[in-house]
Amino acid sequence: MPTTTTSSASSSSSASGNNRQSDVFSRLASSDPEVKLKALREVKNQIIGNRTKKLSFLKLGAIPAIASVLADADDSDECNNILVQSAAALGSFACGFEAGVQAVLDAGVFPHLLRLLTNTDEKVVDAGARSLRMIFQSNQAPKYDFLQEKNMEFLFSLLNSENENVSGLGASIIAHACGTSVEQRVLCEAGVLEKLVILLDGSLSQREACLESLATVLKNNPEAVSDFVGLESGKYFNSVTELTKDRYPRTRLLSCLCLVVIYNTSPSYFINMGTKSSLITTLLELLNDPGQSGDDAALGLSCLIAEKEDLQQLAYEADAIKNIVEILKTGSELQSKRLQGLFLSLAELCSKLEDCRCSFLSLQVLDLLTDALRHKDADVRAAACICFRNAARSVKSLSAGRFNSDHVMLPLVQLLHDPSSSVQVAVLGALNNIVMDFSSPKSSFIEYGGIKQLTELSKSMDPNTRCSALRALRNLMFLADIKRKELFYSDFKAQGLACLISDPEPPVQEQALALLRNLVDGCISSIEFVFDEDGLILDTVGRQLRKAPQAQMAIQGMYVLTNVASGTELHKEAVMEQLFPQAKAGSENFMLKFLQSDESQLRSAAVWTIVNLISPSSPGAFDRHVKLRNAGIIPQLKNMVNDACLDVKIRIRTVLGQSMSFGDNY
Amino acid sequence: MPVRVVESNTPAQVSGTDPGNRSPLPPSSLLGAGQAFSGTQNVSNQQKEEAWRVNVQIQGIDLEHGYLCGTMEALNVPMADTPVITFWEGEIVDGKNYTFYTGKWEATREDDMRHWSKFPSFSPLQGQVETDGGRQLDLNNYPYIFMRWKEQYFVNVGTDCGLTIAGFYYVCFSCSDGSISGFYYDPNSSPFQKLELKTVNEGRSGFSFSSYELQ
Repeated sequence: MPTTTTSSASSSSSASGNNRQSDVFSRLASSDPEVKLKALREVKNQIIGNRTKKLSFLKLGAIPAIASVLADADDSDECNNILVQSAAALGSFACGFEAGVQAVLDAGVFPHLLRLLTNTDEKVVDAGARSLRMIFQSNQAPKYDFLQEKNMEFLFSLLNSENENVSGLGASIIAHACGTSVEQRVLCEAGVLEKLVILLDGSLSQREACLESLATVLKNNPEAVSDFVGLESGKYFNSVTELTKDRYPRTRLLSCLCLVVIYNTSPSYFINMGTKSSLITTLLELLNDPGQSGDDAALGLSCLIAEKEDLQQLAYEADAIKNIVEILKTGSELQSKRLQGLFLSLAELCSKLEDCRCSFLSLQVLDLLTDALRHKDADVRAAACICFRNAARSVKSLSAGRFNSDHVMLPLVQLLHDPSSSVQVAVLGALNNIVMDFSSPKSSFIEYGGIKQLTELSKSMDPNTRCSALRALRNLMFLADIKRKELFYSDFKAQGLACLISDPEPPVQEQALALLRNLVDGCISSIEFVFDEDGLILDTVGRQLRKAPQAQMAIQGMYVLTNVASGTELHKEAVMEQLFPQAKAGSENFMLKFLQSDESQLRSAAVWTIVNLISPSSPGAFDRHVKLRNAGIIPQLKNMVNDACLDVKIRIRTVLGQSMSFGDNY
Repeated sequence: MPVRVVESNTPAQVSGTDPGNRSPLPPSSLLGAGQAFSGTQNVSNQQKEEAWRVNVQIQGIDLEHGYLCGTMEALNVPMADTPVITFWEGEIVDGKNYTFYTGKWEATREDDMRHWSKFPSFSPLQGQVETDGGRQLDLNNYPYIFMRWKEQYFVNVGTDCGLTIAGFYYVCFSCSDGSISGFYYDPNSSPFQKLELKTVNEGRSGFSFSSYELQ
């Protein structure tokens, strides 16, 4: 019997352990099938459920070695055991271990595993199917072209198989490879739904594969959902609903996720409040499952309640917030995916309902959140930021100064330099809300150099970043005192603001103008900012308004003029100069255009500018009124006395009342 | 006599349905975040006449939920060394989220009607409110906004300051000039303490508006 040339295998030291590991390679390459088989079993038994061992063997090159064994083994009966064990070992490497999947695919194993599916020995077929399923669980699985007829035929041959692992493989391929609506349609037209639902009555593994694949085929596809629900008058839809009460947690989870997909695609099938409540309760219970089901349940819950106030209310009434916070506070190490799902669920719960936000914040959660901001996983950091953002939608809590502490602010500000762009985006959203410190003029954010950082970000190449930074600055300038405004302006200057008001992107222009609007509100001396550098900012505003801007930008621009026009005579005259620029006499007046806009907010803003320009307390009001009348603006207002919008109508009556006091007939 | 309160011939518009509008339009620009009001609250009782100067600032408004909030600052309060600031939350009587009937805070329907009827602008609505709670009223097109304001906590003093925030205000806001009147209701305090406020323009000759946007 062949023996190895390395030292004895009986030593328990790590050196001999390593020897034993590398020794197994020569045995894998042995020409003796028994030796080879034993080596395969050894590797397989060591790596099952052991990520460290998987990594260790992977580094030593075990996967190509086993791939060779698989490739070299023929389909004869003698080789069956070798086929089974090598497939099992490779499947084990691929199971939940992305580096393993990559290595298995790189070793060219895929076609050899496929070959096993047509073996006459059931055990070989099983082993091949199971391994392929492991590969298809991963995002790295090869693309499966459902649009190719032969691929579709092969897929259906798998689904039609009586072997549960093979039919399960077919379902897995669909679950993980079907990505587009075209693929969904092609699969449905080929009758895949009818094939899949049969698996609901099959074994546990078939059922679970079926539920996963149903969710993929139905996702965001109302036609597919309609087809599915229509099958045998809703029989299978009911089956899936019943499976949410199954004794196996993974089955309960997958059926819930399937229902979440159906709900998000076509909510009309869920008229029964009881079904919605039950779905939420089941997902909440699954949060306590220690395994992968618990991880997936958390993300599933966040998907279900996203954007849906009624479901958030149901979840709140089912004590979701309290339960989730308790899980987070257990102190045990939770998987990143679960943490992400839990924080996202809390974020969704806090997204629309003030009761939820207050309830959440009352549970002493700030430490939990700030710890998560420092988590090693970027997805967890981003989820914690989103949670912060939504909790800080509570003006009541902002006003109470709940977030205005160094403990909260410092880690958030630090995340502005996070290596992950999704974290940067998320933290900008959180800071946008948290800087609304109604509670005190002292701002931790400013003390940590926040204004400088936002100023930098407002110069980003990415328009979304510029927009987000400006929005946060706008919020910082809301009701700000002159000291804060001067601090901001000292970095930005007129040129900086003018540049952003003329930004190529309309949303950036809009935020820059909204920021300017806040800058010139408050004490009257704030208006002077727009006159700096020979009135550069005010001229830029006027120029932009003359360019037929989008409505939202125009609204902010008109409010800038309104606010400036609430100042002194000089300020009012400067606004008139923008409305009626000398150089552009005869050109169409933008004020007239805005008064005729479909956007009532724009009409309102325009009317307010006029209210302020002809405010009776100001000496030049009469002359300005004459000019506005001659330009057709006052007559236009007379046409608007019955404006559909109450606010606009009331303001117009104010203006016309002032007109009358100047001797104009109503 | 019950009467619809739409003033013009144009169809009544529910707030928020203006075409192209990104979000519901506030019923009045003057009832918006950042707007400030100043005036007095009459706290007289049988023993003496007394009035406190009051400043109010709106901090947030959520029309979809009929919610608004802000702060109230009371000056020259005898028991306090400094102005006393409270945070309050408001319910907008919009017929959707809230009606004229309070249904809590120890206010009965009779208390409600007794207070609302002290506002002249409520008279045209009174009949309909008494009949069916005002369900048919198009409040979104009425030039007055009715609210209840309830103080939630003291911002700058302790709860042992000798003052109470147990009650709430019935409030009427005039969309045309932004003036506010209100009556404080607390079964344990002097009845009908009147709040009267006007918009504040910080020394400006006209109106100025700021805004913020929560993400």
